[in-house]
Amino acid sequence: MRRLGLGLTYLALVGLFLGFTALPNPALAAEKTVTLGFTASQTGKLNVEAIRQINGLNLWIEQVNKAGGIKLPDGTVLKMAAKFYDDESNKDRVQELYTRLINTDKADFLISPYSSGLADAAAVVAQQNKRIMITAGASSDSTHFKGFSLVYMTYTPASLYLAGAVDLLAKLAPEAKKIAIIHEKDKFSTDSVNGLRKYAEGKGYQVVMFEGYDSGTTDFAPFINKIPAGVDAVMGGGHFADTTTLTRQLYEKKVQTKMIALLVAPPEPKFAELGEACISVVGSSQWEPVAKYSPEAAKAEGVEWFGPTVADFVKEYQAKYGKEEPSYHSAGGYAAGLILQKAIEKAGSIDTEKVKAALDDEDMYTFYGRIKFDTTPKAHGLQLGHQMIIIQWQKDKQGKPEKVAVYPPAAATGQAMVCPVR
Amino acid sequence: MNLWRQPGFWPSFLLVFLSGLVVLVLRQDTLRETAFTVLMFIGLASSLNILMGYTGYVNFGHIVFFGLGGYFGFFLVSEMGWPVYLAALGGGVLSSILAYIIGAAVLRLRGAYFALATIGVNEAARAFVSNFEPFGGSTGLYVNFSAYDRYGGAGQALWFTFILLWLVVLAVIVVSYLVKRSRFGLGLSAIREDEDTAMVMGVNAPLDKTKAFLISAFFPGLIGTLYFFKNGNVEPDDAFRFQMSLEILVMVMLGGKGLLLGPIVGAFAYERLRGYLLTSVIFKNLHLATSGLVLLLIVLFVPGGGVGWLRERFPKLRRWLE
Repeated sequence: MRRLGLGLTYLALVGLFLGFTALPNPALAAEKTVTLGFTASQTGKLNVEAIRQINGLNLWIEQVNKAGGIKLPDGTVLKMAAKFYDDESNKDRVQELYTRLINTDKADFLISPYSSGLADAAAVVAQQNKRIMITAGASSDSTHFKGFSLVYMTYTPASLYLAGAVDLLAKLAPEAKKIAIIHEKDKFSTDSVNGLRKYAEGKGYQVVMFEGYDSGTTDFAPFINKIPAGVDAVMGGGHFADTTTLTRQLYEKKVQTKMIALLVAPPEPKFAELGEACISVVGSSQWEPVAKYSPEAAKAEGVEWFGPTVADFVKEYQAKYGKEEPSYHSAGGYAAGLILQKAIEKAGSIDTEKVKAALDDEDMYTFYGRIKFDTTPKAHGLQLGHQMIIIQWQKDKQGKPEKVAVYPPAAATGQAMVCPVR
Repeated sequence: MNLWRQPGFWPSFLLVFLSGLVVLVLRQDTLRETAFTVLMFIGLASSLNILMGYTGYVNFGHIVFFGLGGYFGFFLVSEMGWPVYLAALGGGVLSSILAYIIGAAVLRLRGAYFALATIGVNEAARAFVSNFEPFGGSTGLYVNFSAYDRYGGAGQALWFTFILLWLVVLAVIVVSYLVKRSRFGLGLSAIREDEDTAMVMGVNAPLDKTKAFLISAFFPGLIGTLYFFKNGNVEPDDAFRFQMSLEILVMVMLGGKGLLLGPIVGAFAYERLRGYLLTSVIFKNLHLATSGLVLLLIVLFVPGGGVGWLRERFPKLRRWLE
């Protein structure tokens, strides 16, 4: 009898224990670490931009984890972790390292390396291994014409870099008709101006000059002398050094036009060192800290808002990385994280197919602007929502150059001006 | 000459053959990617050795053949729809034709003048391709992901490309050895020691140098096509990277120039060292400095390269370490 009693007590205890463990207990919810794999150019020619991009991404990871991670409907809590290698800005390293990230480090999602060439090489590996890759710091349209279905773009495509400048020209000088294009002959600049030409001609403009110069050109006189009289806008450029020199020589040669819109260099703070020559020059940037995207503006357009506001992002970034103002590279890195976070939350899973479906459906506003992807097989993953911010150098009250966001209206902080008479 | 009875041939051949075989048996993607990079550099260094090691002509422009041949081969794949193995052959043939044309001009120069001219050729080739519209100009060329379907999907295509590369590198080794042990190879060695004397002794130096240049240029064209096909795209900056030319030179020097095994050991050691430093927790931020220091020490204290040092230290091994 005593034995029976003991046996029953034992059974009751076991039953109680099992009963307790079977009950849902929030404190014991499963935690899973999601690994984001990427390579970054910590050395090599692209290291400054790439490091800013990682800073942005790391800030996002830190904030997500600090907020308790991403909670899935089944109670699982996802914590983010990054795994990365240095690719030296070299393509021959990228495929090797991405294969390693997927197979050895078991990365769940991938972020692209900085620059289109490197991102292209990584995309082949991502697609082959069925991993979703968010490209940050890569703007070439052609990446998305290659038949990839798991690669999603954060940046506005290169072909639309100066499209906003054409729209602005239409607003600023409705009578304008003729555009001259002078551009650097490299992949990014050529992609950009080919897109610009198509866009401008589509809007009824006449491209009266279309000339390319070699990378490293320092004397633009032959090109400037060739600009036909009565041109309404001079557009093009390439990277920082050549575009800056081109701007200065356009000023010195007193080229008369209504607008000068150039690639890459104008948004950089150092561009102000040109002094008078930079006044009224227009440039495009993926993002600027002065951007005015807000939950209210998003609501007015009927699009959902996600993530921090522009002011919060800038504040948090500066709190973590000192006084350095976040550049569009930093914002792009953070935005890549947001894109993934939103998709994982919507999918309620980290399964590739489910997250892919959520990404295909994604349409939201963030501090970085709107995010929406092309879902047609021809250009899958191409960024459709995000718009470049058009900035213009104007004079502040002391007469010093000041950068003003002038287009699109959702991001503008001031009015655009026509080029003054030189 | 019966190749299979030559003791100097086997270590090099077996090293590459067995490494490739191990990768194929294990079938790990990460291992394949690492092996691809190593094999690519073995192929490039060994083919450079045919000119630089055997004739003593230091060629800084070897990457031109990798770039131009690779571009042409990739063009045949992406624009003409050729299968990759035929396109690679096309790339190799074009490289050899170009070597014949370039060689006619630059092989008249000797020593530092030849080396300087080859640097110029690299820059000229990059400028040409950046402006050549059929090759996509400055934006380059790419293949659609569906191009891999004809090889059974992207995964299979990468394995197929790896096997092709493996075969190409084995071919480089066989050809290198045959050249070295032939009468033609002896002529090249004579040119390396003293070109004028060699000509007096009856070596047709201009013809032999051109032939060595042609053979040396054929393989980078093949390898370039396979590499760009694996990458899925090609751009002027990737195809004509001067730094890569220098790296290949360093690999040849590291292992020992003029030796069959030298470039193989050099390429393997250089690549693995770099690969290790890149992914190591301690060195990943210092890898370029560390690898530079290691190279400096080796070049300063072991000028004959690793294999050259072994040959000197252990004379009995010489017949195996050619």
